[in-house]
Amino acid sequence: MALMRIENIKKRFGGLVAVDDVSIEVEKGDLLGLIGPNGSGKTTLLNVLSGHLKADSGAVFVDDKPVLGMDPAQLTRLGVVRMFQMTRVFNRMSAFDNLVVCGLAMGLSETQSYARATELLEELKLVPVMYLDAGQLSGGQRKLLEFGACFMVAPHIALLDEPFAAVHPIMKETMSDFIRRRNADGQTFILVSHDMPVIVDLCPRSVCMNAGKVLAAGMTQDVLQSEAVIEAYLGQDAGEQHHV
Amino acid sequence: MSPPKNPNLHSSKLANELILSLVVLGVLALLPAFVQSPYWLGVLIVSMYFAIMSSGWNLLAGYAGQFSLAPAAFAMLGGYSTGLFFYHLKAPLWIGLPMAIIIPGIIGLVLGRIVLRLSGAYLALTTLSFAEIMRLIIYNSIDFTRGDQGLNVPGLLDDRLAYYYIFLVSLAIVVGLVYWILRMPLGRFLQALRDDEIGAASRGVNVVRCKTIAFFVSCAICGFAGGLYGTFARLVSPELGLIAQTGLVIAMVVIGGMGTLVGPLIGALLVYTASEFLRDVGGIQMIVFSFLVIIFARYFREGLWGLVRRGFDRRGGRGPGGGQPPDGRSNLAAKRGA
Repeated sequence: MALMRIENIKKRFGGLVAVDDVSIEVEKGDLLGLIGPNGSGKTTLLNVLSGHLKADSGAVFVDDKPVLGMDPAQLTRLGVVRMFQMTRVFNRMSAFDNLVVCGLAMGLSETQSYARATELLEELKLVPVMYLDAGQLSGGQRKLLEFGACFMVAPHIALLDEPFAAVHPIMKETMSDFIRRRNADGQTFILVSHDMPVIVDLCPRSVCMNAGKVLAAGMTQDVLQSEAVIEAYLGQDAGEQHHV
Repeated sequence: MSPPKNPNLHSSKLANELILSLVVLGVLALLPAFVQSPYWLGVLIVSMYFAIMSSGWNLLAGYAGQFSLAPAAFAMLGGYSTGLFFYHLKAPLWIGLPMAIIIPGIIGLVLGRIVLRLSGAYLALTTLSFAEIMRLIIYNSIDFTRGDQGLNVPGLLDDRLAYYYIFLVSLAIVVGLVYWILRMPLGRFLQALRDDEIGAASRGVNVVRCKTIAFFVSCAICGFAGGLYGTFARLVSPELGLIAQTGLVIAMVVIGGMGTLVGPLIGALLVYTASEFLRDVGGIQMIVFSFLVIIFARYFREGLWGLVRRGFDRRGGRGPGGGQPPDGRSNLAAKRGA
């Protein structure tokens, strides 16, 4: 049984069909790459899955439970967590409090939230800045902090939108290691990224979207070698580069 | 596990602000030993009326980020709740004063639901319109409210000093209530939705519930202030809800320190007392306060309390985050992740 079933999702903005009849199945423990050119509908799809946008038609099931129409907070408490491309942290709260507030919202006690926040800050190497306001952190540190906030309580599925964009390579590696370890423990991810080496390294399966439609889906190497994906997204040279 | 100790953490900030609030309340408790003039006792009582209202508005605007322009309107509604119960039903104050909390609270809750999806300028304009509509309804419903003649309200006591302490105890209760709310998870949720509403919802915060509670509590506190003030002045009139009164509340909170527990107390006491000194120069006082609000909003966002805190931090050798990173590196190095 698939952990998340996305069935015939359609979302249009006026005359533009941003997501056009997309169906994807995500198994438990999957680390699914979602790739495609800018404007292909990846972020819109994540917005629908995380409750930030209402789909015009289609259905989404998590553990066979219909979740389309739920608001973002309900979905988060159900275990569908979201990291945004444009970082969303609480600027006037310390990094530590940023994590504590997430723990409390997910139903942890204050004591449990303190302990979990401390563990995550250590794991993400943010201890040196834990007392600084999030607004004082660098862009990369803020990304790491938002990333950590998704894991205050182990989610069913983490939707990560461009987590590696504009992040220092060392922090990128910290995040990649974290994803690898959690995925080895059975954590499910959908990862949106333009960083092809990272997608190849982390994601066994991928889906490529273009103009709102699924262009190709399957094993990442197969997707990257698909004629349609090379033509629409990667270009001939890049397609050869990713060929193993 | 107990929280780590650092002055920039929510729990430590709140504890420090509570201590300073208790100091301010303690000073207020001792003031009548030095201030015996009924006039100046009256000035301090009105300052405390504004401090109660400012604390209520600060919970909504300073902590939850919902910039309402209706605190004075809710104080007016509180005053009229007490006044109308007495005028029409001859209800005693033990019924009238709770009504000054319940009725504005419920109206605030309804307003909160109406403006749920609004923010920024749209929220401010909607609450401003609501405030003016309420004031004009009261002003024009002459048969029911006696219009601009106002309503007589019975006093709780005749002794001004006793009134002073009633206001002081009421202010202490309001500060305690706001502290209690901020100490709960709700306090952190309000600050999260102030900083980023979409981010807060995405972390599991029930934004609708938090905003609704913030509107209810804030409006109920403002209503309570208005009800209590009505019994002191023995009169409520539509002038209680003038936008200039809201402007004064905003000036008090911004100058004292928006989003801090102690800021509204300091701001209300200083601004209202200063306005008495500026009384002789008439309308110029609002110009002075408006100018101060611009200066504070531009250069000292944390208000007077923020300046004091920064001073303490400097004396204690602490950095901008309120403390040195635990590994002994400079804050700058830590900020850079070096």
